Amino acid sequence: MTRQASTSTRLIRLGFREVCRAESLLADPVVQEVAGPDGEGDLLEAVGATADPDLALLALVRILESSTPAQRAHVREVLREAGEPAQRLLAVVGASAALGDTLAAHPDDVALVTGETGPGILAEAAQDVRATLLRAVGADPDAEVPVAGSAADVERPTDAMRRAYRQQLLRIAASDLTRPDPLSTLPGVAAALADLAAAALEAALAVSRAEVADSELVRLAVFGMGKTGGRELNYISDVDVIFVAEPVLGQDGEPVVAEDRALRIATRLASGTARACSGPSREPALWEVDAALRPEGKQGPLVRTLASHVAYYERWAKTWEFQALLKARCVAGDRALGDAYLEALQPMVWTAVQREHFVEDAQAMRRRVEQHIPRKEADRQLKLGTGGLRDVEFTVQLLQLVHGRLAPGIRHRNTLAALSALAQEGFVGRADAARLGVCYRFLRLMEHRIQLYRLRRTHLVPTDERDLARLGRSMRIVPDEESDVVAELLVRWRHTRRDVRRLHEELFYRPLLPATAQLSAADASLAPEAARARLAALGYRAPDAALQHIAALTEGVSRRSAIQRQLLPVMLGWFTEGPDPDGGLLAFRTLSEEMGATPWYLKLLRDSGVAAHNLAQVLSSSRYAAEHLRRSPDAVKWLAEDGDLAPHGPEALEAEMDAVLRRRSLEDSQAAATHVRYLRRRELARTAVSDVLTHLELDITPGISWAADAALRGALRIAAAEVGAEQGYAEAPTAMLVVAMGRLGGQELGYASDADVMFVHDPVPGADPQKAQTYALAVAQRIGHLLGQTGPEPALEVDASLRPEGRNGPLARSFAAYEEYYGRWSAGWERQALLRARPVAGDDALAQRFVALIDPVRYAGGGLDDHELREFRRIKARVENERLPRGVPPNRHLKLGRGGIADVEWTVQYLQLLHAHEVPGMRTPRTLEALRSGAEAGVVSAADAELLQRAWRLGVRTRDALVLATGRTTGPKLDVLPSERRELAAAAQLLGYGPAAGGQLEEDYLRTARRARAVVERIFYGQAVPVRTAPARPGPGRR
Amino acid sequence: MDKQQEYVLRAIEERDIRFIRLWFTDVLGMLKSVAIAPAELESAFAEGIGFDGSAIEGLSRVSESDMLARPDPATFQVLPWRGDHRGTARMFCDILTPDGEPAAADSRNVLKRNLAKAADLGFSYYTHPEVEFYLFHTPESAEGPLVPVDDAGYFDHVARGTGHDFRRATIGLLESMGISVEYSHHEGGPGQNEIDLRYADALSTADNIMTFRTVVKEVALDQGIMASFMPKPLSGQPGSGMHTHLSLFEGDSNAFYDPAGQYELSNTARKFIAGMLRHSAEITAVTNQFVNSYKRLWGGGEAPSYVCWGHNNRSALIRVPMYKPGKGQSARVEYRALDSAANPYLAYAVLLAAGLKGIQEDYELPEEAEDNVWDLTDAERRALGIAPLPNNLQDALDTMERSELLAETLGESVFEVFLRNKRREWVEYRAQVTPYEIAKLLRAL
Repeated sequence: MTRQASTSTRLIRLGFREVCRAESLLADPVVQEVAGPDGEGDLLEAVGATADPDLALLALVRILESSTPAQRAHVREVLREAGEPAQRLLAVVGASAALGDTLAAHPDDVALVTGETGPGILAEAAQDVRATLLRAVGADPDAEVPVAGSAADVERPTDAMRRAYRQQLLRIAASDLTRPDPLSTLPGVAAALADLAAAALEAALAVSRAEVADSELVRLAVFGMGKTGGRELNYISDVDVIFVAEPVLGQDGEPVVAEDRALRIATRLASGTARACSGPSREPALWEVDAALRPEGKQGPLVRTLASHVAYYERWAKTWEFQALLKARCVAGDRALGDAYLEALQPMVWTAVQREHFVEDAQAMRRRVEQHIPRKEADRQLKLGTGGLRDVEFTVQLLQLVHGRLAPGIRHRNTLAALSALAQEGFVGRADAARLGVCYRFLRLMEHRIQLYRLRRTHLVPTDERDLARLGRSMRIVPDEESDVVAELLVRWRHTRRDVRRLHEELFYRPLLPATAQLSAADASLAPEAARARLAALGYRAPDAALQHIAALTEGVSRRSAIQRQLLPVMLGWFTEGPDPDGGLLAFRTLSEEMGATPWYLKLLRDSGVAAHNLAQVLSSSRYAAEHLRRSPDAVKWLAEDGDLAPHGPEALEAEMDAVLRRRSLEDSQAAATHVRYLRRRELARTAVSDVLTHLELDITPGISWAADAALRGALRIAAAEVGAEQGYAEAPTAMLVVAMGRLGGQELGYASDADVMFVHDPVPGADPQKAQTYALAVAQRIGHLLGQTGPEPALEVDASLRPEGRNGPLARSFAAYEEYYGRWSAGWERQALLRARPVAGDDALAQRFVALIDPVRYAGGGLDDHELREFRRIKARVENERLPRGVPPNRHLKLGRGGIADVEWTVQYLQLLHAHEVPGMRTPRTLEALRSGAEAGVVSAADAELLQRAWRLGVRTRDALVLATGRTTGPKLDVLPSERRELAAAAQLLGYGPAAGGQLEEDYLRTARRARAVVERIFYGQAVPVRTAPARPGPGRR
Repeated sequence: MDKQQEYVLRAIEERDIRFIRLWFTDVLGMLKSVAIAPAELESAFAEGIGFDGSAIEGLSRVSESDMLARPDPATFQVLPWRGDHRGTARMFCDILTPDGEPAAADSRNVLKRNLAKAADLGFSYYTHPEVEFYLFHTPESAEGPLVPVDDAGYFDHVARGTGHDFRRATIGLLESMGISVEYSHHEGGPGQNEIDLRYADALSTADNIMTFRTVVKEVALDQGIMASFMPKPLSGQPGSGMHTHLSLFEGDSNAFYDPAGQYELSNTARKFIAGMLRHSAEITAVTNQFVNSYKRLWGGGEAPSYVCWGHNNRSALIRVPMYKPGKGQSARVEYRALDSAANPYLAYAVLLAAGLKGIQEDYELPEEAEDNVWDLTDAERRALGIAPLPNNLQDALDTMERSELLAETLGESVFEVFLRNKRREWVEYRAQVTPYEIAKLLRAL
C-alpha cells in the first residue's frame, strides 16, 4: 500500500469529507512545520476528533498563514503537547467557522483559547467579566459611575469594547466545546453568555456616557429582559432591554435637573448604548439591542422614569407584559435605581393572575405561540412550534404566574431554576420536571451549536447532511452501531419535542389530581387553594365543583379509577379547548360512572388518543351530544379513529328496521314503536357527534331526515298491523302512503324539526270506500300517536297541517279525493306546499301514481297569474308580520327573520313556481338543489343565488349549533340568534369559528342575512330597488 | 384599585363633590347622563353601574336591556359651572354588556374599533373641528320668532355685551376643563359663532366635542340666552357646519405630507381623499344625520353640495388647505359637509373608514375642481364628473342602506338601529304641513 493510499483511507476513517483538499492542506509547509517529528499522524487524529475535521484543518492553515513566527511557534508547542489547550483550539475551529475567521484575523487571540483549562471563564464571576470589558474601554470598574476613557487612552472605545467581547466569547466557546458533558455544562454557558452581554452593555453605557453631554445629571438603569434577564442567553440573539432613568438628586435632596431634561439626556444615553452594541463601526456589531418590550412598545418613549413605568403597568399593561416583566433584571447602570424599580414592579407581576381577562389572554398567547410559524419552517423550528423551546418557557412562566402570588419560592427568572423550584414546592411532579429540564437543555444545546457555526441568529435546524453531522458531533452524540450520528440526532430531537408536548399536559394537569390518586410518590399534588387557582387560570369557571369531579373520578382502587388517573390529566386540558370545560368534566364524570364497569369503554379511551380527545371535544362543546352519549354509551365507540360516524343510509336503516320488526310481535305495538324510536335516537346521536367533530361543515346532515323517514316507515307498519287487527282485517282494505312535506320533504330536517306529512290511501278493488277511509284515518292517527307520545325515547311530532284545506280537511284522503281536489282547487299556498312533497312510506305503486298526479299541479306551466302572485306575496308579508314572536328583533330570528331561512325558501319556491315547468333541475323538494339548478338555467343570477344559499346555510347551521350547544330542542329561543354572549360563543365555536368568536358570528350572520334580504326583496317582492351586489368575501373565520 | 381611581376618589372627598355625572353618548350623538353619589363610585369602577339600556336609543336590543356604564377615571373633571365646592363632576363611560364586553352599539366603541383598524395599518388619526353654532335670545314659546343675539337691526347695544360675556365665559370654562380652543367670530350669520378646537387624536376630539356642546349650552343658559347646533336654524342665513381637518400619522411623521407631491400631498393623502370622495354619498346619512341637515347642504351659501375636491376651493366638498412651507407636520385635508349636529364618534369613524378604503384599494384621485362648482350648470358638472351629495335624508338613507362599507364600519347593530331610527324621522317629517305650504297654497287654492 502506498503512503498516499493509506493517508486517504485514514482521512476517510477520521470523518474528512473533502479528502483531496485535506491532503493538499496537510502538505502545506505551515502544517508540516507544526506537525510532530513523526509526521502529521497525531495532528490528524486530533483534528479528526473535532466536530468538522475539514473545517478545522482549513481554519488551522489560515491561522498559521496569518501568524507571526512567534505565534506559529506557540501553536506548534500547543499542538505537539496534544493536551487540553490543543483540544480547545481545535474544538473551536472545528465547530465554528466564524470564530475560526476571528482567530485568523487576530492570531494573538489563540493564546486566549489555549491559555486556560477546565471550566475557565465559565467559573469566573460576573463582576470580573464586567471589569474586563470596562477596562477595555478605559473605564474604572470600581467607579460608582464608570465612564469610558478619553480618546487619549482608548482610540475607538466602541471597537475596543467589541473586540474584548469577542475575545471573551472565544474563551466561552473553548470551554463549552471541551467540557465532558455538554448538557450539564449548558446552564453555566448560558449564564456566562448573559454575564458577558451584561458586561458589554455596561461598557457600552460607559462609552455613551463619555459622549453625551451632562450625562452626570441623570441616573440610568438598564434592565435585561427575556433570556438576558433570566441569565440564560444563547450565543447570539437580540438582547431585550428596558431603560429607566431619574434625575440625580443634589445635596438638598432636590433633583439637579428638571425631569423632562433628564429624560432627554437619558434618551441620548440609552440610544448611545444601543449604538455602541449594534451601530455601524469598524468591528462588526454584537447583536441588536431590542427595547420593544418597554411600555407602549415601539410607539412609547425609549426611556421613562420609575413613576411613569409604575403608572403604565398599573393601568395599561397587558398580561403578556407582566409575563415579560417576570424576567426583568438590572444588568447595567444605576443599581440602586434598579432595585427600586424591581421593588415597585415585581409585586405586580405576582398579582397579574388576578387581573381581568388573565385566562383569555393566557389562552390567546398560547395559541399565538403555535400559530405564528411559517409553515415551511415548522418542522425545522427549535424555538416556536409544538414541543419547541417557547413551549417549555411558556409552560414554566404560566405556572409561575398562576402560583407565584402565594408561593414566593418559585419566583425565579431562570427557566431551569424556576422549574426545579416548582417541583421543590410541589406544584409539578419531580420526575416530570426533571425530564422537562433535560428536554430544555437538549433543545438549547442544539440551538447553541447551530448558532456557533456562523454566529448567526437562527433557530432553524439545518437540512444539509454535513451541517447535521457537525451539529451531532459537536453535541457529542454517540450513535449506536446500526445508526449514524445524523440519524441519532434527528431521532433524539423528535423524541424531545414529543416529550415536551406530553410533559406540558402532565405538568399542568397531573398535579390537580388528589394525592391519593397520584401514580408515584414523585408526582405532585396541589393543595386545594393552589388547585383552585390553577383550574381558574385554565378556564374552569367553577373550580370547586371541578375539584370534586376530579376527586370522584380518581379515588378508589378499582381498575376504573386507575385508568382514569392516567387519562384525566390530558382530558382536563382538552376540556378547556371547548367553550364549556366545566360541563365537559361533569359529563365525563357522569358517563364514566355509568360506563366504568363496561370493559371496552376505558380501554378504548386509554388506547386511542383520538377517541379520548374526540370525547373531550364533544362533551365540552355540546350538551345535546353529551346527553345522547350518556343515553347511548355505545356511541362512544364511534369516537375512535375508525369510528362509525358516517350516517347510515336509507337502505341500511330499512334493513335494520325490517329485521327488528320481523323479530318482534307487532301486537305489542308499544314495544315495537319504542324500538323504532330508539333507532332514530341512535341516528340523531351519531349525527350530533359527527356534527360536533366536523364543525358542522357537512351540508345539511341528511342523517336526521333518513332517520325520520325510517321511523315513519316503521310506524306505518306497526300502525297498519294494529289497526288491521282491531278492525278485523286480514288484508288491509286500502293501500296507504305517507307523503313527506316541508323540510322533511326536502330532507333538510334539523335536530328540533317536526315531521310534516300528508296521508294518502287507495282502497283495494271491491273494498267499501267508507270503511277504507275509517281504516286509513285510524292508521294515520296511530302513526302520530306511536311516534309522538311521551315515552323513554325522544318523540317525533307528526304534523299534517299542510294537507289540503289545512287543519279543516280530513287527516287522510283517498287518491280519488286528491285527484278531484287538485282538479278543482289549487290555492297558491297548496301548490307551494306540494313543491316539497316526497312519498316516504307505504305503497310504491300508489307513490308513483301520486307523484304523477301532483307533478302537473306543482310544476304547471304559465307560472303565477297576477292575482295569484299578489296573494302569494301578501301571505308571505302577513307571515312575516304575524308569526314573528313579540320582542324578537326581526333581523335576529333565524327562521322567520329578515334574510332568514323562510325568506330564502319562499324565494326559491317562488322561482320554482315560475320556472320549474321549463327547468327540469328545479323539480326537486330540496332548497339548495332547486336554487343551484335555477342559477344554472339563468332564472336567478349566480351572485344572488350565492347570497341566498349562504344565508340559508348559515341560518340552518346556526340553528343546529344552538341545539347542539344548549341541548334545548323546544322553546322560543331555539330560532333566535342569542344575545347572551356565552351561548353565542358556544355556537360560534361549534360552527368552526375560533374560541371567543361569538361577536364575529353575530356580525357575520347579521351581514349575511341583510344581504340575502335585499335579494329577497328584489326577487320575491319584485321591488325595483337597484341593489348593489356584495363583493364575494371569504367565509367565516374557520380554523 | 389603580392609582387613577384612587386619585378620583380622593379628589371627590377633598373637593366635597356631591354628585358624579356619568356621561355617554347614544347612537344619535345625544349626551346621556346618569348621576350617582360618591358612595357608589367605588363599585362603579369595579363593576360598572347597571342601567336599563332599552330606553336609550340604539344602545341595546330589547332582549338584553341590562347594560353597564363603567366610568373612565382618566376623564374625571369637575363641572366648573356647578361651582368648585359641593359641586358636580363628570366622567365619560364605556358601555359594557353584562358580561363585561364592550357593547356593540356604544358609539365611542365604534370609533375605537375603527381606530384600532387604522393602527393595524400603522396609522393614527387626528382631527381638528371648527364648530359653528347660533346664539339666540330665548324665545318666549316654542313657536316664538328666533331672534339672534347680535342682529344689529334689533338689539344693537344689548347684543354686543351679550356676545362679549359669552365668549369670555365659554373660553374660561373650556380651558378649566382642559380643552384648548381658538375662538373666532363667524362673519356668516347674525348670532353665529365658530369655535375651533385644537387638533387631537380623533377619540379625544370626539369626547371634547361632546363636552364642548354641553359647555356652550350651559353658558348660554346662564346668561339667559339660547345656543343651538341645529344645522340650519334660519333659512336665508348660513347653516352651522363642522368642517373638520383630518390627518393620518405614521409614528411621528405626517403620512399626508410629501414635499415632492402636488400641494405637498403624499400619495397616501391622495388616496385617502379619493376614498372619502367615492364614498361621500354613502356616509352622508351619518355626517349629516337630520332632515334639517339637508337644508344646510342645499341652502346655498358656502355649503359643499357637490362631490369634488380642490386646493383652497371653498365650494369643494374636500379642501386641501394651504399651509406654511416647511410645516410638513400640519399637512391635512378638510372635509366640509359634516355639520355640528353629527354624532362625532360615528362621523369620524365613517370618514376614516372611507379614507382608509381609498388607501387599501388604491383609488385614483380624480382631477381637482378649480371653478366655483356652484356657478357651473348641471350639464357642466355632469361633464366634469361632479356628482351631487344626496338631496335629502331619504336619499341619503337609501344610499347608506346599500353600503357595505357603512355596515362594516358601524357594525351590523348600529347600522340597523341607525337606519331604523332615521327612517322614522323621515316618515314623521313627511307628515308635516309646513308654514311654507300654508303661505303658498292655503289661500291660493
